[in-house]
Amino acid sequence: MGGYGDVQLLRDDGLRLDGRKLDEMREVQIEAGVLPAADGSAWVKHGLNVAVCAVYGPMEAHPRKIQRQDRAVIDLRYNMAPFSTSDRIRPGFNRRSREISKVTAEALESVVLVERYPRSKIRVEIEILSAEAGTRCVGITAASVALADAGIPMRDMIVGVASGKVEDTVVLDLDKAEDNYGQADLPMGILPTTEEIAFLQMDGDLSVEEFNLCMEYNMKAAKEIHEIQMDALRRRYESKNGGA
Amino acid sequence: MVEIVSNLLRQELANLAAADKRIDGRGRWESRDILLETDCLYNAEGSAKVTWGDTIVYAGVKFEVRAPWPDRPTQGSLMCGAELRPVAALKYEAGPPSPESIELGRVVDRGIRESGCIDMDSLCIIPGEKVLGVMIDIHVLSDQGNVFDASALAAIAALKTAIVPAERFDIGEDYPLQVQKTPTMCTFTRVGGRYVIDANVEEETGGEERVHITLAEEGHLHSLQKGLKGTLTPAEFAEILEVAQNRCAELAELVKSKEA
Repeated sequence: MGGYGDVQLLRDDGLRLDGRKLDEMREVQIEAGVLPAADGSAWVKHGLNVAVCAVYGPMEAHPRKIQRQDRAVIDLRYNMAPFSTSDRIRPGFNRRSREISKVTAEALESVVLVERYPRSKIRVEIEILSAEAGTRCVGITAASVALADAGIPMRDMIVGVASGKVEDTVVLDLDKAEDNYGQADLPMGILPTTEEIAFLQMDGDLSVEEFNLCMEYNMKAAKEIHEIQMDALRRRYESKNGGA
Repeated sequence: MVEIVSNLLRQELANLAAADKRIDGRGRWESRDILLETDCLYNAEGSAKVTWGDTIVYAGVKFEVRAPWPDRPTQGSLMCGAELRPVAALKYEAGPPSPESIELGRVVDRGIRESGCIDMDSLCIIPGEKVLGVMIDIHVLSDQGNVFDASALAAIAALKTAIVPAERFDIGEDYPLQVQKTPTMCTFTRVGGRYVIDANVEEETGGEERVHITLAEEGHLHSLQKGLKGTLTPAEFAEILEVAQNRCAELAELVKSKEA
């Protein structure tokens, strides 16, 4: 975490700097089917984060060495656009984006019915256009909508959410200041129907009680975001049938 | 990934061209609908989203404070880069920048730079010590044909709405970047033997060479590029240049309609 310092993150009235309650998440908007070139796609705005995800496939796994005889592999890239942060990011992969790509792909592999597509790959491209803390979670939320939009069978959706700790207080869905100056961050990828956890990272300092409260907040938020995901998919298919 | 082009598609495009038709029913000098949105990204100092038919391109502008080049102590710098990332189409693969994306970035860069729309001396903070660097990044999210024109439009629109974050750099109050001209690009693709504007993805796949013309509103040429295999005659160039004059003027008007 960024360290404590003397930045005040909770107001005297107990609310957070942006006026949210402790267990209140930022506004989430989702659209499915936004990229005409892709087999499935999604756009997610979560607070000031914007992520776009494209899914291509299933298709032949290439290069051959990534093929699995019994299942599909998920070939995923998480990428931040150069203009997505306040200081420009040099284009291209770095260690952070490689790690996020790996664990996100593994999270998705645990919900996609990969055994249906032996020797193939499913390409998932997550592009972060605007970043304001919590982009990996937004990417996961977008990826699961894009996979569903591509018609790829899954056991459940995944929702990316994070909780953390600021000024010794557990809060849901850290914004940028809370992420930079807070004491802990716990991003999770949650299967909303079964409450299983497919993605889990954490850094900072949390007691067991604090961890449990974070988990409770995350589960609650996951169900809310899941509704928004499903709504986006329903609207997408309404327009597909009703329109054109 | 190697694109496989069917002879059927080539033949169809040639037949359509002979009847003066296009595969999606447009006229030869007719563009798809363009939607230009500016100021659409939170962390970019200037931003634009162009939805050009089914092609979607974002451009974002960032600034940095840097030391000037030793031979130009009072001049800032401009850089425009493009990424054709795998998100944009099945044919794009991950890896270091492809020749295609380098060409795209450089052609757009030349049009903006050579139009002189930014006075490099106005980017000077302390001569010989500190100048502003302007960086335009083009991010193609969906390539369904004519990413060049869409990228050039997004880039100039993002630039024209950019705010220099002077307070963040401790050099005074934030102010809008001064951009004096509006260079825009018109690309011609040879499809079925004749040139058309704004080729869609089928026309690009089954077409031949393309010619990119960048003009500013005064009608002067600022950048030219011929890409892919093929040749053109001076008479053909004269014809498309005339079309480009009208087309670029329309695009410049579109950009200006978004200015404050």
